[in-house]
Amino acid sequence: MTVRARLALTVLLTSLATALALIFTVATAFQRFEHERTWERADGFIGRVVATHPDLLDLHRGDPVGFTGFLRNLLLFEPGSQLYLLDMDGTVLASSGVMPLAPGFQVTLGPVKEAVMLAGDRARAAYVMGDDPEYMREDTVIAARALQATVIRPTDEVAGYLYLVSQKPTLPAGRLALMRSSVAGPALAGVAALVLAGALIAIWIIGTVTRPLRELSDAVDAASRDGFEAAERVKPPPPPRRGGDEFARLRAGFHAMLARLHAQWDRLRRLDQFRREGVSNLSHDLRSPLTATTAGLETLARRWASDPPDGRSGPDARAEDLALVQMALRNTAHAAAMVRALADFALLDEPSYRLQTTPMSVGELLDDIVLRFASRAAQQEVALQCTHDDEGDAAPPMAALDIELFERALANLLDNALQATPAGGRIELRAVREAATVVVSVRDTGAGIPAAELPLLFERFYHRREGGHGLGLAIVRRIVDLHGGEVSAHGAPAQGTEIRIRLPAVG
Amino acid sequence: MMRPSRMPAAPRRILVAEDQADIRDLLVMNLQQSGYAVQAVNDGAAALAAEAAEPSDLLVLDLMMPGLDGLEVCKGLRARERDTPILMLTAKSTELDRVLGLELGADDYLTKPFSMAELLARVKALLRRADMREAALTASASERPLVHGALQIWPAKRSVAVRGAAVDLTALEFELLLHFATHPGRVFSRGQLLDAVWGYSHDGYEHTVTTHINRLRAKLEQDPLRPEWVLTVRGAGYKFRE
Repeated sequence: MTVRARLALTVLLTSLATALALIFTVATAFQRFEHERTWERADGFIGRVVATHPDLLDLHRGDPVGFTGFLRNLLLFEPGSQLYLLDMDGTVLASSGVMPLAPGFQVTLGPVKEAVMLAGDRARAAYVMGDDPEYMREDTVIAARALQATVIRPTDEVAGYLYLVSQKPTLPAGRLALMRSSVAGPALAGVAALVLAGALIAIWIIGTVTRPLRELSDAVDAASRDGFEAAERVKPPPPPRRGGDEFARLRAGFHAMLARLHAQWDRLRRLDQFRREGVSNLSHDLRSPLTATTAGLETLARRWASDPPDGRSGPDARAEDLALVQMALRNTAHAAAMVRALADFALLDEPSYRLQTTPMSVGELLDDIVLRFASRAAQQEVALQCTHDDEGDAAPPMAALDIELFERALANLLDNALQATPAGGRIELRAVREAATVVVSVRDTGAGIPAAELPLLFERFYHRREGGHGLGLAIVRRIVDLHGGEVSAHGAPAQGTEIRIRLPAVG
Repeated sequence: MMRPSRMPAAPRRILVAEDQADIRDLLVMNLQQSGYAVQAVNDGAAALAAEAAEPSDLLVLDLMMPGLDGLEVCKGLRARERDTPILMLTAKSTELDRVLGLELGADDYLTKPFSMAELLARVKALLRRADMREAALTASASERPLVHGALQIWPAKRSVAVRGAAVDLTALEFELLLHFATHPGRVFSRGQLLDAVWGYSHDGYEHTVTTHINRLRAKLEQDPLRPEWVLTVRGAGYKFRE
């Protein structure tokens, strides 16, 4: 749920509650007013009765049966009410009602005494609610007067009460019944309109206030999904320099954060670029002196090989010189190979590097490579085997390959395997199709590599062999990466090593 | 070891353009020792001027030279409709440069550091290919094509048609196809093909053969996966159908 919806809902609920409270208050006030009027009338009436007949208790004692009729006669002038004569404990002695009451029925005395206290007081707007013996209710407007047995002992305290229960049928039965009154309809409509208008205005204001928040969260979403460069395209405009609310501060903070990220990213990119260019330039700059050195040594070797030794140095000295030159040539060739690998790695590491791929049968490439390495393997007495799915009618495993690069990767793997495998060993090349991938593996029966070192094999400059430059497998991994595949190393000491390349298959 | 070959005819003329004096001197020394007449200049403008004065049989150009670089010289030379073979030397091994070099008219390239033996082999191969091209051009125009099923090859016109439609092949693709078509049924390894068609066999360049065979199949075959003419012989190499 968005903040906007939550705020709008809150405002709507609050105004609804306010409206209900308003209706309830008005209804209650209206009802109180009605009750007060009823009380006023009842109290006046009962006051007049007691003033006219102060000897009601005596009258009742004198003629209990006729007293009921007397009470009923009194009520001719006050319909909708019932009169009861109570003793000092609240027990009903006589009633104007038609319904017979249980003998000894008692009315709660509290409201009676309260009504007696309030009797005749017109200064205060009040009323008393008490028991209605006839309908067995406790929320009826009542009035009461204390009675004394004047004839016997005029100084006695209260001996009983005249108790009036107002049963006005015109009085609304409950608060909600008020809603049916003629004023209720327009009043309710007014309240509803007010609530609705308030809610609409509130929603509009909330929408306006939260818009910057939404824009910011869109920008943050874009940043987390597509990087901060995407966020810069959708970010809200920068806030005014001075002042502004919390949202403006948030926006300013977001802008500052983006700018900082940008600066850091730029610095990283520059550093990376600098590193790549450094490696690349270095390897290029080394090429010319290496070329000249190699060519110079080659020329010298050729000349010495064809010229007869002169008089001063014998044939032995010449052979020694030649051996020295050959050693220098071997080392220069090694340095050249390293420079080449370094340059290749720098080139492949360029983010802008693109492969030139063609769909190619991986098995066919493996066959070609086996042929290429066959004589070297035979020289080292290592068996070179190649298996793939090209036989039979099964679709050969095909992949989109940059032939030159992929062959280089495979050649690096085979070269490593040949270095690791002793005479009498075996190297197996396999290409199989697995679901939507082609798996190429090169497996040797060499000394194997401890499990802890396996993941390090593909790190640049990590080398296990004296004279290795640690770039061969790093180049393999980069080439496989460029092909959208993955490469992994398996095996254990004394069990040989297997390098597995998984590529997306085509066809 | 290579010995200077004694040529009965006038020695082939080679122009070397290289701005680094040491490498230039070594190139001259080795090429002369192999019996070529060598002229050396140290920038591209001088190379173009020398070519204008007296055409050579082959050019060895450094890609990176002050002023006019190797590519500019290539373009300038080709603009004069000269197809003198060009061997490009480059310190940059970027694939882009390789392609550019070949597209802009260089016939072959070598990346530094290279060995002199390899350079001499390339030079020899380039000259041989140029001679073959020359010979083919002078051959009769009314030649009969080699026919293998729906495939027709005119060696002298250097054109190919499949199912009656002409196919556009690059020079090396054509030479490769011609080599196959003139030896039907014979199995060649990639090294042998490199030797026979490219004119040199050097470890590390075999992928070039694979690339060309792949492209040849894509251009000729109806289903390159089940080729009709250029067939794979497992564990041996490639052969043309008999």
